[in-house]
Amino acid sequence: MVSPPSPTRQDYYAVLADLLPERALVVTALGNASYLWSVVRDRPENFYFEDAMGLALPLAVGLALAQHSRPVFVVEGDGGLFMHMGALVTLGAAAPRNLTVLLIQNGVHAASGGQPLTNASLDLAQLARAAGIPNTKNVTGLDDFAPALRSALGTNGPRFLVLRTEPDVNVVRPSIAFDPVMTKHRFTTAIGAPVYTPTLFGGGLTHQ
Amino acid sequence: MEKQHRPSELLATLKRLRFGMAVAVPDSWLGEILVRINDDGAMQLVRATHEEEALAIACGARLGGLRTAMFVQNAGLLSMGAGMVCLAQRYQFPLLILVSYRGTPDDPIFYHIPKGRATEPVITGLGLAHCRSDRTRPIGPQIEAAASFAEESSTPFAVLLSREDVQW
Repeated sequence: MVSPPSPTRQDYYAVLADLLPERALVVTALGNASYLWSVVRDRPENFYFEDAMGLALPLAVGLALAQHSRPVFVVEGDGGLFMHMGALVTLGAAAPRNLTVLLIQNGVHAASGGQPLTNASLDLAQLARAAGIPNTKNVTGLDDFAPALRSALGTNGPRFLVLRTEPDVNVVRPSIAFDPVMTKHRFTTAIGAPVYTPTLFGGGLTHQ
Repeated sequence: MEKQHRPSELLATLKRLRFGMAVAVPDSWLGEILVRINDDGAMQLVRATHEEEALAIACGARLGGLRTAMFVQNAGLLSMGAGMVCLAQRYQFPLLILVSYRGTPDDPIFYHIPKGRATEPVITGLGLAHCRSDRTRPIGPQIEAAASFAEESSTPFAVLLSREDVQW
């Protein structure tokens, strides 16, 4: 019996775009995780990585702790997770209730051309559970994703959903200029983060 | 004149400046000050597993509007290079990095010395703005100036601290 092909990242992104809560903040890892999301659902509340592989998840942990009243999503890849697997332990310990991790498991380093991972077949949901994150699930197909996401959002986080996908090694052209400082300023303005006032004018962080 | 307890002064300065989070990977000099931060509760303490991961957590917290300090050993400055240039500096996150500076002539422990020797050349190469604390002056104003430098320059800034600055 031939197994059906795994869904693509685009398939999952279409579902995520439909179900994304209005006030959600979204962090996407480097490569197509960011490029494609900018095409599917660009919004000021997105924070796109252009590099820094493996650091999207820990950045999202810090963001979720700072913005605890807003739902935070992070899209990370299995290769990125392997580069900083300790971040899973920190996530389990810090346990931000508002954070949902969408872990793309495609078995390759897609952003660098599709080289195989050190181990492409690990049970990553089990790995996350062992790291102290009880709310985890290996999503087995596209039909399972929407119910799994709805169910996860109805419970306290952190949540860790593993999305098995086909590798997407062809680079997607993003819908916007990927200027990192512009990305950051657009994001902080959208969420009303406090702004630093230069010392000459009094100093300190103040709300806009 | 009564001598100031420098770690207490350091913490009081962070609280006065309304730092909301401390992200840390411990060192023996840092153990007790992290306990104090945790017990005090004014700053949220996140204990990370690796210094580059800690850097990313700090960037995320700052992105979310919290003024954030890091507590790491200088070994961590050596191991966070990619995240420093590709994330913290590239996206211009103002972070205060407080570093226990091990392996200097004041801390001649054989296994710290290689890190002490490499630290300043490496972080200079990374373009990480930094200074060494001055033990002849109060630590509080030095921390405040470093925090201001980070904000005014929109970049991380590291203060290389001696034992009496941070060890409780």
